[in-house]
Amino acid sequence: MRLLLRVLAPLLGLLLAVVGLAIVVETVTLWVAPGSSPLVVPWPVWQTAAEGLTWQSGAVRGAAVAVGVVGLLVLVLGLVARRHDVYLADPVPEVTVTTSPRSLARTVGHEVRSHADVVSASVVASAKKITVKASTLDPAEAVREDVRARVDAMLVRLPLARRPRVSVSVTTTKGVK
Amino acid sequence: MSRRSRAAVARSAGGDRTLTTVLGLVLVAAAVLALLVGYGVFGQFRAQRPLIDPILVQWVADHGAATRWIALGIGLVLFVVGLWWTLRSLRPEPRPDVSLSEVPGERLTVEHAAICEAVRHDAESIEGVSRARVRLVGTPMRPALRIALTMVEGSDVRDVWAELDGRVLARAREAFSVSALPTAVRLELDATSAPTQARVE
Repeated sequence: MRLLLRVLAPLLGLLLAVVGLAIVVETVTLWVAPGSSPLVVPWPVWQTAAEGLTWQSGAVRGAAVAVGVVGLLVLVLGLVARRHDVYLADPVPEVTVTTSPRSLARTVGHEVRSHADVVSASVVASAKKITVKASTLDPAEAVREDVRARVDAMLVRLPLARRPRVSVSVTTTKGVK
Repeated sequence: MSRRSRAAVARSAGGDRTLTTVLGLVLVAAAVLALLVGYGVFGQFRAQRPLIDPILVQWVADHGAATRWIALGIGLVLFVVGLWWTLRSLRPEPRPDVSLSEVPGERLTVEHAAICEAVRHDAESIEGVSRARVRLVGTPMRPALRIALTMVEGSDVRDVWAELDGRVLARAREAFSVSALPTAVRLELDATSAPTQARVE
């Protein structure tokens, strides 16, 4: 989403600037040389098209819905394009340490997969929550306790600023051990 | 965590986000208002009035000069805001040189690249760090360091910190002759499976 914001923000700015410039150019043209108006934007055609429309017309409602949908997308983009850094406890006051959720998930994943009884595992991590899904050939409950203990021990070693909640689910898959 | 070290974590997208959010709000508000008028929430009579309202047309005809100035004003504001926004979000993040002394005759400035290369070299010599990227952010008078460290699998974060602060940053602070240098460190944990071989150049 941040990438989309990086791309869209200058484009939206450019769009505003172009609309503003068009208004200025057309107004000045109409004022100074009414004969050559419209210069670029065919606004008299639009005016003719809009004549006879009321606020109840389907076209007006359709346009309003379209503008609303675009506006909502732009609004959501502005709201959700935040950073998802995972903060670590500061070693000294003037230093801020962060890591990425992906990197945290990778570390937890290595830890979980290093357990001998875990066949496969997937990890999703954020600053607030770590979700581990693992599969094993053994009874799930015992492995689940082991995996949870391992993740907890790892989080003790890793000095995160706030300790995320950990949820572990282990399923038993069929196969030859 | 100081405000300046926290600001150095990444380039802020706050301006872009605020402007995007405001633009979205304006569009949604306009659309909702038009729909409400159309569905007769402000009276059935108003809903049946033409889009290009005769009252408005009459006012424009009566106040030609005022309408022009209003249109020019709106156009100019949109143009300036749009252009400012575009330039602002396209401008690269500055890489400040650090000025150590502003005394006339003894002005001393250290180039961005020189500092970053030195700190990067120091940081990469830490046990457990396979790669480091360093840059300065902020202003020449108030610089801050941004360091990205790629860590070898299994290396202890606390050991790396201790060496980073005790050796690398201590040297940087000494070089700048400051007691505190705001620093943002980004760790890529467990990124490489084994210590990388020394590169042959």
